[in-house]
Amino acid sequence: MSEALVQEQAAPRLALVGHPNVGKSTLFNALTGSRAKVGNYGGVTVGVKTGELFTPHGQKLELADLPGCLSLVSRADDEAVTRDVLLGINGAPAPDLVVCVVDASALERHLPLVLQVIELRLPAVLVLNKIDLAESQGVSVDATLLSEEVGLPVIPIRADEGVGVLDLKQALRFPFPRSAPKSWHAAKKSEQAIGELSERFNALGLVNPDRQAWLALADEGFRKNLSSEAQAEVHGVVEESDGGLTPGEDLESARRERVREIVNIAVNEHAGEQSALTDKIDAELLHPVRGLLYLALIFFLLFWSIFKWAEAPMTFVEDVFGAAGDFARSALPEGLFTDLIVEGIIGGVGGVVVFLPQILLLFLFLGILESTGYMARAAFLMDGVMSRVGLSGRSFLPLLSGYACAIPGVMATRSVPSAKERLLTILILPWMSCSARLPVYLLLIPLMVAGVFQQALVMFGLYALGTVTAFVVARLLKGTVGLAKDHQPSFLMELPPYRAPDWRYIARHLLERATAFLVKAGTVILAISVILWALATFPKAPSGEESDQFEYSAMGRMGQAIEPVVAPLGWDARLGTAMLASFSAREVFNSQVAISYAVDEEDDDAVREEFRRSYELPTVLSLLVFYVFALQCFPTTVVVARESKSWKVAIGQLAGMSIFAYVAALATFHLSALFL
Amino acid sequence: MALTPSKLFVDSTVSLTKAAAGCDLQVESVGGPDCSQLRDLGFCEQMRVRKIANGRNLICTVCGSRLAISSHLADHIQVKQLS
Repeated sequence: MSEALVQEQAAPRLALVGHPNVGKSTLFNALTGSRAKVGNYGGVTVGVKTGELFTPHGQKLELADLPGCLSLVSRADDEAVTRDVLLGINGAPAPDLVVCVVDASALERHLPLVLQVIELRLPAVLVLNKIDLAESQGVSVDATLLSEEVGLPVIPIRADEGVGVLDLKQALRFPFPRSAPKSWHAAKKSEQAIGELSERFNALGLVNPDRQAWLALADEGFRKNLSSEAQAEVHGVVEESDGGLTPGEDLESARRERVREIVNIAVNEHAGEQSALTDKIDAELLHPVRGLLYLALIFFLLFWSIFKWAEAPMTFVEDVFGAAGDFARSALPEGLFTDLIVEGIIGGVGGVVVFLPQILLLFLFLGILESTGYMARAAFLMDGVMSRVGLSGRSFLPLLSGYACAIPGVMATRSVPSAKERLLTILILPWMSCSARLPVYLLLIPLMVAGVFQQALVMFGLYALGTVTAFVVARLLKGTVGLAKDHQPSFLMELPPYRAPDWRYIARHLLERATAFLVKAGTVILAISVILWALATFPKAPSGEESDQFEYSAMGRMGQAIEPVVAPLGWDARLGTAMLASFSAREVFNSQVAISYAVDEEDDDAVREEFRRSYELPTVLSLLVFYVFALQCFPTTVVVARESKSWKVAIGQLAGMSIFAYVAALATFHLSALFL
Repeated sequence: MALTPSKLFVDSTVSLTKAAAGCDLQVESVGGPDCSQLRDLGFCEQMRVRKIANGRNLICTVCGSRLAISSHLADHIQVKQLS
């Protein structure tokens, strides 16, 4: 097939561009049927997601959902992703059509970005989202007048309800419109500077020289990405402009003047409801003292519900695995194969799957917080605390994501504008207890205290221990990452209006998490369980006694080798091997202890009974502290290396956190042994 | 007619940090190293702003959106009181 034909068949590329939290991902899902993560706060999307859609005429299109940005002059890494796609640089092909999404209730804030897209001479359509919110606030936008003034097709929609999505698909007819004419002008010298630089860039062979010239004059940060020859050309053109406003400032000023004109013509404001309810709720929830108490209470309720509400579904899962084990034991002849099925597979996988209800409860609560708009408030409240360690409240959102999983949390740090603050956030993020630690906590906490309230309190304490330590270490590392002693982080964030939770999205998200968890249990954890069973079963002890088997097995020998290292923590060979095995996945700790004790039932109470028989409370405490602090997740280390662009940072973090966890567990064991 | 303190306030500009909460304001000028970012967020000249709450971080509504902003950044925004 000829290359020309392949190109002809390639689907035209569309890109969604707009401010954070304007509804791009909701629209992306509505257009493509995808399930991209959405939330009622800015910074949910930090990378490019692509999907396909078909117009009513059957034209296939490729749609990219880009991270939100306030301007194409990027300040954070996620904004730079959007900039690069629109410029068609750094390996990203430029889109054939840009779908600019704006909030109809805040048009004056959102239009400057649209005009920047027009200045880049990119073909575009303008999507006017949240028209219902605008109307409720007394803002009506005349789409026809707006279209005439901006020079783009304008489609009013309500992405969350799917209203207007078909009209938008109709507007995406192929071939796409040409780029809109620019109806505003900066000073002649600035326009000339862009033309001049564009020609020089063209001579240097840069792709899309006119767009790169435009941005190089507007964004000093972008200039640093250019080659030294290109930087010299920019310097030359800037030098030639004789004082006054820089071309970038001049363009910005002209753009804003035009935005004011457009808004005066196309927007009509009349008396509407002011967001009185949001104001009233915020007055209480953002109170400097009471707000922090509410935040603590919300998280305590989360942990309480995990213990309280998960009991019945957990018993059900236990019964299912117990029945499966009994059935396998009765249906299969006695022997190694049956042991593998019952102890290795059903016991190993069941020991982890039993915690699925509690993990889903954690995600349910986090989903509700994300969907209602509370996440941005949590960041606001934590800003005061975080500024003392050199971070802004903005870093709290990735840290909160870390409670679910460190990997999306590390990626979410792209929305932190300061590179040094971002690095510091990445360094401490794995101390936010992720959901993989949850099964270990849930297994061990009932060994310490009885009663739902007390257990929830201990769980809250473990999460707080990780979080507070992270902040203390951030304070200590502040200078190491290059933040000045008197560094004052800036906090700038939109507080979205409160919304009722989007139950459809939350249900879908829970289903995805449950599927991912079960797939992991059915693949990684299953495979590791089989390996661990084999290591605990072979070679067979000559005596044939079950009590001698572990010591004689390969796992027992590995445990004996590691025992001198873990013995000071109060651990024996079994716990040592369980700790080593959980470097593959933390949940494997539960499978490993179940297998190494050859507990017949998948009932976690049986495992706890073995624990009570074998260990004292200081050992349990030492284990818990180790799991709070240890970074036992190689995928996280790989993502940290990628996001920080440094293996040194990633390996240093892994080593540092492992040593810290060991020392903390050692201190916990010996101190608690003194007092308990 | 003698000028009352409130009359003086209406005619002069103050930083957004010092403006009283609950007032409708108009941005007169934006300065400082983060001025572009502030403008991108909506704090640009002639924009109407309502200050909702004071504190370490201020809360304002700009164009119907509720924004939180550090007080040290708000120091660079000069505003005029409208009501």
